[in-house]
Amino acid sequence: MRGVLDYVPGNTILHRLDPRTKLLISLMICIAAFISDSEIFLLGLLALNLLFAFIGGVTAQALRMLKGLSKACVFMFILQVLFIQQGEPYFSFIGIHITDYGVRTAYMVILRLLDATLPLSLMLTVTRLTDLSNALVVHWHLPYQYAFTVTTALHFIPVFFNDMQAITEAQIARGVSLDTRNPIKKIKLMIPMSVPLLVSSVKKTEQEAIAVELRGFNLRTRASTYKVPHMHAADAAALLLGAVLIAAAVLLNR
Amino acid sequence: MIRFDDVSFGYNDKGGTVQHISFTLKKACITAIIGANGAGKSTVSKLMRGLIRPSSGRVFLEEQDMAGMKVSQLAARIGFLFQNPDRQICKNTVREELLFSLQFTVPDRDRQAACCEEVLAALCLNPDDDPMVLSRGERQRVAMATAMVHKPELLILDEPTTGLDYRECTEIMDYVRSLNRNGTTVAMVCHDMEIVQDYADEVLVMSAGRLIASGSTAAVFRNREILDAASLLPPQIVDLSLRLGEGYENISDVDGMAKAIAGKGAKA
Ligand SMILES: Nc1ncnc2c1ncn2[C@@H]1O[C@H](COP(=O)(O)OP(=O)(O)O)[C@@H](O)[C@H]1O
Ligand SMILES: [Mg+2]
Repeated sequence: MRGVLDYVPGNTILHRLDPRTKLLISLMICIAAFISDSEIFLLGLLALNLLFAFIGGVTAQALRMLKGLSKACVFMFILQVLFIQQGEPYFSFIGIHITDYGVRTAYMVILRLLDATLPLSLMLTVTRLTDLSNALVVHWHLPYQYAFTVTTALHFIPVFFNDMQAITEAQIARGVSLDTRNPIKKIKLMIPMSVPLLVSSVKKTEQEAIAVELRGFNLRTRASTYKVPHMHAADAAALLLGAVLIAAAVLLNR
Repeated sequence: MIRFDDVSFGYNDKGGTVQHISFTLKKACITAIIGANGAGKSTVSKLMRGLIRPSSGRVFLEEQDMAGMKVSQLAARIGFLFQNPDRQICKNTVREELLFSLQFTVPDRDRQAACCEEVLAALCLNPDDDPMVLSRGERQRVAMATAMVHKPELLILDEPTTGLDYRECTEIMDYVRSLNRNGTTVAMVCHDMEIVQDYADEVLVMSAGRLIASGSTAAVFRNREILDAASLLPPQIVDLSLRLGEGYENISDVDGMAKAIAGKGAKA
C-alpha cells in the first residue's frame, strides 16, 4: 500500500476544487454507499469512483488501492458466507450451509466496503494535506494546533514505515529469522522489534516538538494564511451531485 | 569471497541506483568502499549481505549464487554492522541482546553462553548493562557484538566510525584489524580517507551508482583522476608524498616519511 495515499501533483478539475468540497463529497459518497441497498446503485458508485480517479489522473493509484483492498474483501466474503446460514443452501458440508442469501449479503458488504473506502483515499491523492488543513482552519475555525497535529501525524506514517523496514532489515542481518513464511512465528519475532521503533519514534517526535517550538509555534496570534481557498461554480456542482447521490440512495431503497 | 557479476539494482521502478557492478572481494583482506554521499555504497553493502536482491546480475558467496539462500541463516557466515546501531538493539541487557542473535543459529545453550562471553570480553562490554543507556560508541560496540557472536567469515561494516570520537574510532578499527588478522574478511564503507589509508588493503571506488575503480589502497590513492572523479581527497600523508615528489612518492606512513626526510637531510 506504500505510496498509494500520497498526493499526486496535477492541475485537473479535481485538484482545483476547494478542499472542503472534496472532503464533503467524499463523505457524501460514503453515506450514500451505507444507505443504499441497491446492487445497481452500489455498482454505479464504484464506477463513479473510478471515473473520478480517471478525471483526477490517479487511475493507477485507484487500481493499486483496489488491489490492496481485495485481500480484505476475500477475507470478508469468506467470513460472511460461513456465518450467514439463512436462505436456500447452494450446498452444505460439515453442517455449514453456503446459502444464496449469505453469498448475496457478502457480495453487498464488499461493494459497500469498496464504495466507502475509495472516495476518502482518492481525495487524499488529489488534495495537498496542507491545503486541506488550511481550509479547515480558515473557514471552519478548527484550531490550527489540531490541524497541524493531524497533518504532521499523517506525514509521519511513511517515515515510520521506512523505519520499520530498516529495523526489519537490521534484525534479519543479525540472524533473526523474520524472513520466515510462518506468520505466527513472524508476529512473535516482531514484538521485540517494536522496541527500537518506539525508541526512534519518541526521539523523532520530541525533536519535532522542539523544532516547532523554536520556530515560534505558540506565538501565532492571528491567521497568517497565504492561500485562502474559495468555493466556485464547480464546487457547487460537486456538492449538488453529492446531494443527488444521497437522495437517489434513499429513493431506490423504497 | 564475494563476487558481483554485472549487478544492477534500483529501489523503485525508476531503477538505476547502482548499475553494472562487477568485482571480487578478496579473501582475508580489509576492503574499503569509498565514494561521495549517495554514490550507492550502502546499497552495494546490502546487496553483499543479501538484504536486497539484484534486479539483474548475480551475487556469489564462495561461488554459490546467493539468490537461493535464506538471508537470516546467512548471519552465521556474514556479519553486518549498520550505520545506526539502534536499529539492531531491542533487549534490556547486553547479554540478552547477544543471546537473541544466537538463538536462531546456535541451538545449544552452553555453546550460546560460551560464544557470548568470548565476544563480550573482546569488545570490553559489561553483559548486564542496558544497551539503551550506553553512549553512542558503546552501543556501536554492542551492535558489533550482535554481529560477531556468530563468528562470521565475512564482516560488512557500513560507516563503522561515523559519529564516534577519535578514541572510540581507533578501538573499533583495532578490533576489526584483530579480527582480520585471525582470518575474517572485512568489507567496510568509510568516509574517512585517513582510516581507509591506515586499515584497508584494497579499495573499491564508487561514483553515481557505478564502480569506477578498484585496486590496492596505495595505488588508488595515488591516482588523482580516480579520486577527482569520485570527489574524494587523498589522505594527507599521500598528498604530501606526491607533492614532495622524487624519492618520496611511494611513502604512505608517517614513520617512513620521517625516516626518508631524515635520511635526505643527513646526505645534504
Ligand atoms: N530505501 C531507499 N529507497 C529509495 N531510495 C533509496 C533508499 N536507500 C537509498 N536510496 C537512494 O539510493 C541512492 C544511493 O544510496 P546509498 O547506497 O545509501 O548511498 P551511500 O551509502 O553511498 O551514501 C541515493 O540516491 C539514495 O537516495
Ligand atoms: Mg550510506
